[in-house]
Amino acid sequence: MEQLGVLSRSEASAQGRYSVELKHVSKSYGETEIYSDLHFQLLKGTFVALVGPIGSGKTTMLNMFAGLEKPTSGSILVLGQDITSMPDDALGEFRARTVGLVPQVQTLIPELTVRENVELPLHFARVDREDRQRKVDYVLEKVGIRGEAKRIVSTLSVGEKQMVSFARAMVNDPPILLLDEPTEALDPLMAEVILGLLRGDNLTLGKTIFVTTHDRRVTELARKTLRVKKKIP
Amino acid sequence: MSRGVSLQQGQLLARSLKVSKSTHLVVATVAAAVAANAAAAIQLIGITGQIALLALIFVTLAAGTSAISSDIYTRSSQTLANLRSLGASSRSISSAVFFSVIGYGIAGSALGAGVGAALGIVLGGQGGAVSVMFAVVGVILASSAAAAAGVYAGGRRTWSS
Repeated sequence: MEQLGVLSRSEASAQGRYSVELKHVSKSYGETEIYSDLHFQLLKGTFVALVGPIGSGKTTMLNMFAGLEKPTSGSILVLGQDITSMPDDALGEFRARTVGLVPQVQTLIPELTVRENVELPLHFARVDREDRQRKVDYVLEKVGIRGEAKRIVSTLSVGEKQMVSFARAMVNDPPILLLDEPTEALDPLMAEVILGLLRGDNLTLGKTIFVTTHDRRVTELARKTLRVKKKIP
Repeated sequence: MSRGVSLQQGQLLARSLKVSKSTHLVVATVAAAVAANAAAAIQLIGITGQIALLALIFVTLAAGTSAISSDIYTRSSQTLANLRSLGASSRSISSAVFFSVIGYGIAGSALGAGVGAALGIVLGGQGGAVSVMFAVVGVILASSAAAAAGVYAGGRRTWSS
């Protein structure tokens, strides 16, 4: 794949601080090389879209940012901390506090209610009960599903589940938001809610947003768009 | 901020991992059976035998709970991956599983130890009420420690794989 020059050197050094830094990162699955010697930074508060064909490794990159997959070589710094060498327990807590992830495949717990699903990251971040209540109410209100709080997730539509997933990613007000095809499964009305949030709602203001997408409406909102050209063989 | 795993978190995670009433029942009955036998036998043997018996309880119950813990993790591997993406760690999940079953383990071993203590006295066990009580407390402590060690060991092993 092409070398990803996300930000110009002068632009990066202007602020001097990054949300995510990739230092000579390579990633392979067995003999198949996905990325080779990636070296770039994301400024705090920037909005970057990653586009490319299906199977080109976009989700892999998102997962590496979240510390869910480790690079084969190189290091990844998130808010200045090297997550590639962080012990598992510390990485879990760090992830709960700093990263909101909306995966492409639904990862909600079907047996739990909407409220309980949205509340889960707050438990891992050790937020106390009162704050949990307040934060969940706020985020459910913002994404327009507060009325569904007591419903069991398995009874929701695909679109509603995506909204719950979005609420869950946002509930702890993480500085970094990672979205994997966030509008893909949504009807136009629900997609518009997500797009509205990405346009600069209080929920997303000031956050570093990294999104993989095929949706032109999303790329138009992004400050930078990266393209992965090759499909992995 | 609160420290450790709260009861509410434990229950929530236990439901997510499908720790069911059947699991609770298995833990309670196994603990009760082991404790009943041990509390009776411990009154009929000398100090060396008692120590050996408590060690045996620890090893067998730890192995059993480790297997139960591994089974819960394996059956819920997708849920675990989902929880991991939200910030769960091996320790937080193991703590949740532990807290969701430990109450049943203690209840089972307490009930079993009580029955075993009475049986030991009927069978002609030596020693007064105080030594019987020590024996019962020893059995409960060994069972609980074994459950904790088993849950964490099983969880850690499956999480790593």
